[in-house]
Amino acid sequence: MQKILPVAALGVAALIALSACSSGPSATGSKLAPLPKSSDKITLTVWSGFTDSDLAALNTTLAGFHTLHPNITITSEGSQDDDKISQAIRGGTAPDVAISGNANALGQYCSSGAFQDLAGYISRDKVDLSQIPLAVQKFTSYKGIRCAMPLLADDYGLYYNKELFAKAGITSPPKTMSELAKDAKKLTELNTDGSIKVAGFVPTIGFYNNRLDVWAPQWGAAWQSSAGKSSLGTSSGWTDMFAWQKSLTEFYGADKLTAFTSAAGQKYSADNSFQTGQIAMMFDGEFRTGFVDSQAPNLKYGTAPLPVADKLSAHYGGSDIGGNIIGIPKGAQHTGAAWQLIKYMSTQTAPLVTLANGLKNIPTTLDAIKSPDLVSSANFAPFLRIFANPNSSSLPSTPNGGAFLKTATDFAVKWQTGGTTDLSAGLSAADSEITSALALKAP
Amino acid sequence: MAIATHAGAPLTRTKSSQAKRRDFLAWIALHAVAIAMAIGFLAPLVFVLLTAFMTDQQALTKDLWPQTWQWQNFGAVFEKAPLLRYFGQSLTYSVLSTVGMLISSVPIAYGLARLKWKGRTWAFYLVIVAMMLPPQVIAVPMYVLWAKAGLTGTLWPLIIPNFFGDAFSIFLIRQFLISIPQSYIDAARIDGASELGILWRIVIPMAKPGLAAAALFMFLRTWNDYFGPLLYTGESPANWTLSVGLASFRSVHQVQWNLTMAATVLVMLPVIILFFFAQKSFIEGIKLSGVK
Amino acid sequence: MSPWIIGFGVFFVYPLLATVFLSFTSYDLISDPIWVGVKNYVFMFTSDPLVWTAIRNTTYLVVAITIGRVGYALASAMVLSKVRRGSGVFRTLFYLPALAPPVAAALAFVFLFNPGTGPVNQVLGWFGIKGLLWFNDPLLAKPALTVLALWASGEIMVILLAALLDVPTEYYEAAALDGAGSFTRFWHITLPTIAPVLTFAVINSIIVGLQYFTEAVVAGAVASGSSDAVGSGTQLGYPDNSTLTFPMWLYQQGFHYYNMGYASTMAIVLFIVSAIFTVILVRQLRKSGMTEED
Repeated sequence: MQKILPVAALGVAALIALSACSSGPSATGSKLAPLPKSSDKITLTVWSGFTDSDLAALNTTLAGFHTLHPNITITSEGSQDDDKISQAIRGGTAPDVAISGNANALGQYCSSGAFQDLAGYISRDKVDLSQIPLAVQKFTSYKGIRCAMPLLADDYGLYYNKELFAKAGITSPPKTMSELAKDAKKLTELNTDGSIKVAGFVPTIGFYNNRLDVWAPQWGAAWQSSAGKSSLGTSSGWTDMFAWQKSLTEFYGADKLTAFTSAAGQKYSADNSFQTGQIAMMFDGEFRTGFVDSQAPNLKYGTAPLPVADKLSAHYGGSDIGGNIIGIPKGAQHTGAAWQLIKYMSTQTAPLVTLANGLKNIPTTLDAIKSPDLVSSANFAPFLRIFANPNSSSLPSTPNGGAFLKTATDFAVKWQTGGTTDLSAGLSAADSEITSALALKAP
Repeated sequence: MAIATHAGAPLTRTKSSQAKRRDFLAWIALHAVAIAMAIGFLAPLVFVLLTAFMTDQQALTKDLWPQTWQWQNFGAVFEKAPLLRYFGQSLTYSVLSTVGMLISSVPIAYGLARLKWKGRTWAFYLVIVAMMLPPQVIAVPMYVLWAKAGLTGTLWPLIIPNFFGDAFSIFLIRQFLISIPQSYIDAARIDGASELGILWRIVIPMAKPGLAAAALFMFLRTWNDYFGPLLYTGESPANWTLSVGLASFRSVHQVQWNLTMAATVLVMLPVIILFFFAQKSFIEGIKLSGVK
Repeated sequence: MSPWIIGFGVFFVYPLLATVFLSFTSYDLISDPIWVGVKNYVFMFTSDPLVWTAIRNTTYLVVAITIGRVGYALASAMVLSKVRRGSGVFRTLFYLPALAPPVAAALAFVFLFNPGTGPVNQVLGWFGIKGLLWFNDPLLAKPALTVLALWASGEIMVILLAALLDVPTEYYEAAALDGAGSFTRFWHITLPTIAPVLTFAVINSIIVGLQYFTEAVVAGAVASGSSDAVGSGTQLGYPDNSTLTFPMWLYQQGFHYYNMGYASTMAIVLFIVSAIFTVILVRQLRKSGMTEED
């Protein structure tokens, strides 16, 4: 046994080393990095989740910055999702600037210190945050900590096939969920064997962009109570939504609907079923207009705000708003230059408009939205109006990021596959799961 | 393993024709069961291989036999995913780990098997505890350690520990070493050889088949490992091994079962080839452990 | 010995002690660990519904894999020990699947068991059994994983075969003279003689079951049809968390949610359970005289 003792001592020593060396250079709470001088030669690393043409659009915008600041060269890496960013921050290989396509993760980034607090830079450089719409300001800060700036937003609307509408004798897009269900039934066509040929509207959660974050606001289904507690079981919008979803599913028959969705083309491929005319109506983001333009230019379609629950008809016109965020990860090498790039990208009209045109997204400052250079179209314009609508809202930020969304979606999938029949018990159970998961985060 | 298998053989004495008949029926039944089991073990591999030769469309049908043999599927796989790079990463991981294990574990195993020292038994028990420890138990602090060292995202966190001894290999090699007759070692000691000299000139040459078996197992274990590479390189596709790359293959190429199965075949192939080449040393290793 | 002392200290003792320490903290690998006392333990036993799902799944798999693997390996080893002609070929065929990389094996099995066109459902269809969903059915996903474990049971088979061949022939001859039937011979001669090896096989299978990870991760992700990266956590445990094992939940908590303190708490539980079985094994080694020399 005596051989073990020195070894154990070694282990304890290493243990102490663990707690000691983890307190490395902490976030730049007090000291702000100065903007780089034009004589400083700097290479900035920028990570984003973009690929292909989206990445090319980002690189065009970044090139604009390089033209203004020739001393700063930018290395842009795409396909870097949130998992990769999180791991790199912890492994000490974080980029100087990170762009996350998932604003859900922001609460986690801000509360853990994974992204540095930008408040000091914002006040030092007198950045006017009021040029950013309020809903956007909300989803880019967490409990008053602003650890990221918004970089373009997404909102959601109803896409409808005009030819199919004309064939079914429908003249205007539905504004309430009852109208949506009624139109969906009218638009549905069956094959001779009884399977679905054209679906009026697919009510399956998880299919395409039928996400709970998109659906919930239209039902007045609140994620959190005013006290900040998860409110799936107490906000009545949720039960309304699931009941509606179930009755429309039963109209098709769950089996037939599953057969239809499992044979549907990939969400962002050219054989997306809306683009091929097999789905008459769907909920999707403004970026879909870009896909239709390039993948199905002959499709005759229209866009409109998402329908709302019948009793909320006064709140028609808004949607969930989400988007990209841009921030400086902990451990960034060139904080000053990183901030300079972020300021340029997120507050200047020219880069925002260039990027928005490239990604077919909505720019995130009031000036950029009004810019004459912003390419719009009859089908894109409604999304600009939805964005400005006072009924538009965003997901709450939590220190667990979007974990609550996953818990709720897991329940929704269980519900629609018949894994559970007790709606209110299931929703309450999801509430307690969400609440208790938050208890693990540091006080 | 090639020991003749007489254990259950019927005793041949004077037998009635009825008894012979019964033995014959038992022989038929036994072989029927053996063949059925063999089919059970083999069928999955055959179906995988057949599907790998089908066209996209046919792989989505109920057909079991390819209409046309799509040899080009195996080429297409290399265009769809950087399999060669994954292969290189897997090879790096397995070869370096095996080398590290051999350098570090042989002296330890020798110490456990052949040197007399106080606490040796306890040290051996500790080796067994380490061997049986699920890798997830120590994953968090190890990850923290490697993150502090800036090595997460690479395969080094998986390779380096093997240069400091691997519990399973130590166990295996020790089992081989205790079967070497003490008289050889004593003779060398009388001739005045040092312990290191004994290890190098007497023990290692005699334990070669055992070392080969240990190396083979180490190679297989690292080659097939998924948890380790996923944990450390999951977010760094440039450093993915074949296991991680293959697991992600289908998520990228949704319904292409034919290509997925072709990739599966290609990943299994090196292991199967290695087995057929190394079968002899493998069996000899087991034989050696039998000569007690 | 010194490199091993370092290796043992840094790669075994230190992480074990650090796991104990971290299990009492809240730690996200960004800020320093914060001491939270037994909060993680309380959370595990009172407020984490999924940890119980994971414990149930892992228990199921430990039991099913142990019984299935050892039972099937024993059966195939007994058959092999009696086959004389072509025994080498049979042995190779029986053993080969055990070598297949688990990721490849899991992919192959999801294909074989896929509900629409998979060969397994086609064969079952000949017998009038139709439309089983296997890896897409919360009730059948674990049985399908168990079948996969049986397929890959060759290693245990080799060990048991060696033990069976070691049973002295005279024992059987003596028993045959006493007129003992084949079952009696198996029960009174074969089993007691190979008992130590059987114990090893059982404990080995339990440990394999306790750390079950790869096949469940890959099968769940592939069967879900999700295009998210495998291991990214979005499809972990598909369908309906029925394949979420304890190590998978530990991995998700520690390396996706970065609740590293809580993951350490789970690791302690895993350690205690596996240590119990290891102690049983060590006691048996002492009894069988493997370490009798000092």
